[in-house]
Amino acid sequence: MDKPDIDRLALLHTASDAEETVRAIYQGAVDAVVVQGRNGPQIVTLSGADEPYRVLVERMTDGALTVSTEGLILYVNRRLSEMTGEEAGALIGKQFASLFAGAVPEDINSWTQPAEGGVRYEANLARGAAESLPVSVWAGPVALGDRPAALVTISDLSVQRRADEIAVAERFARSILEQATDAILVLDPSGRITHASWAAEQLVQTSPIGRQFSDAFPLVTADPTQAGALERYSAPMLDSLLATRPFHGLEVRLRGRESDDSNARTFLLSAGPLLDQAKQVVGSIVTLTDISARKRAEEQQTMLVAELNHRVKNILAIVQSIATQTVRNTGSLDGFKETFGGRLRALSVAHDVLTKTRWGGVEVTQLLKEIMSPYRERVSIEGPPLVMSSQSIVPLSMVLHELMTNAAKYGALSSSGHILLTWQKSEAPATVQMVWQEEGGPRVAGGTRRGFGTKLIERVMSYDLEGSAGLDFQPSGLVCTLSFPIAGPRFSLQDPPASTAALG
Amino acid sequence: MVAPTEGYNLRLYVAGQTPKSVAAIANLQKICETHLPGRYNITIIDLMKDPALAQRDQIVAIPTLIRHLPEPLKRIIGDLSNAEKVLVGLDIAPT
Repeated sequence: MDKPDIDRLALLHTASDAEETVRAIYQGAVDAVVVQGRNGPQIVTLSGADEPYRVLVERMTDGALTVSTEGLILYVNRRLSEMTGEEAGALIGKQFASLFAGAVPEDINSWTQPAEGGVRYEANLARGAAESLPVSVWAGPVALGDRPAALVTISDLSVQRRADEIAVAERFARSILEQATDAILVLDPSGRITHASWAAEQLVQTSPIGRQFSDAFPLVTADPTQAGALERYSAPMLDSLLATRPFHGLEVRLRGRESDDSNARTFLLSAGPLLDQAKQVVGSIVTLTDISARKRAEEQQTMLVAELNHRVKNILAIVQSIATQTVRNTGSLDGFKETFGGRLRALSVAHDVLTKTRWGGVEVTQLLKEIMSPYRERVSIEGPPLVMSSQSIVPLSMVLHELMTNAAKYGALSSSGHILLTWQKSEAPATVQMVWQEEGGPRVAGGTRRGFGTKLIERVMSYDLEGSAGLDFQPSGLVCTLSFPIAGPRFSLQDPPASTAALG
Repeated sequence: MVAPTEGYNLRLYVAGQTPKSVAAIANLQKICETHLPGRYNITIIDLMKDPALAQRDQIVAIPTLIRHLPEPLKRIIGDLSNAEKVLVGLDIAPT
């Protein structure tokens, strides 16, 4: 075949290909053609080529749009219409910046001319009258034919924000649980523990999460008046009750914890159901409030009331006894008033001392200073440390009052004399010997005056202090020796600093 | 005529996921498996991704199938839905 033949054959082939191409296009056998553009071949689709992409973009869960470099919206997908509440037709042609509410960033127009790789911002999407929506905006470059434009996606951040808020709320609730001083537990509807406060974990010395409540916290009723309130339920039934019903104020103790002090502690058991938005019970909050201190205070208060009652009756009996005997030994009403009044004051001083020391032991020096305070300049005291029990305070006060009254009327305190009050302790048997010695008073005539005062001294020393009193009316003044045992709860020897002092 | 034992080296030019392109890919696979089992090699070229490749085989319309081997070069335009026409165009004897 010579060259013209070859050329003719090639031409025929080309013509045949061209004819075939035209026929294929004409018959619809192709849906894209290659055309020569400024930058080389370009593909032009005749129909349907972008359909999958269009569907993809339309069904995206994020909003998507294209924006011209002038900021005009060219296309929006269905999701963006839903997010803004506006039809696509109403959005196309609007300014991109008009999509956003609140403080729109100054450089928002630059978003429509993004650099390669795109830019991301956070903003609030306007939704007409409805509250704006927090969104994340991504903008990247895209070419629409030969024209540069921006492809923008808008993601709803409200779900993420809500999740963040829930996470914050969860952390907050968790911190409340951790900081609560009560044992607090959250149960699911089956009574299984899902959350526990730090105090609850401490109570059982391990994490109770995942265990059934009755298993982790075996309880028994603590209040005898409510005996059997818990015990009549099986463990599964009790768990179910606590997990679903309100329950208030049952006093309980932890069973089987004899090895530690939690067994001795009393708790107030309460439960309140947790409801979801549909008001369905989704579990409960159970609290075990430690009321041990309150119970102890209640018991102490009950005991104190009984003790107070006892003491008041005791005082009234003492007052009655003093009154009876004062009447019996006083010749006139004025004399009665003076003597009885003095003795009541002595009783009152003794009670003041007891109140100051909260009915505990009283150092003898302190007691003597109070009793002898009217004559503090004229009484000297000396002796070793001695703490006297509360029961001995009233009798000793009465005795010293009588001695003081006697001295004021007839003895050293009736003139310029003074009194030396000393005491000593001795062992086996442990006793106290206290000596009241008057000096410098009027000379005492021979013999003795044994009035009610001296009788009272002897009687009190004998019956109330289980000791004795020796009265010696020497010419220089009365010497009274009081002996009484340091025994049992009445006296206790301690070592406070006081020993020797002038009353002043 | 091409000896039946010779291998077929085919190039299919498509344009992304246009309906005709998608159909052409499926139809070509089916025809080759039926009539050229073990004797063919298909290269699919997406001109959407690289339009410049159109120049190599002077592609104008898409889809286009080119038979490179055995020679001579053959060209079939369309979605290859007419199997008989494809077999004739590629010089393949129906089995």
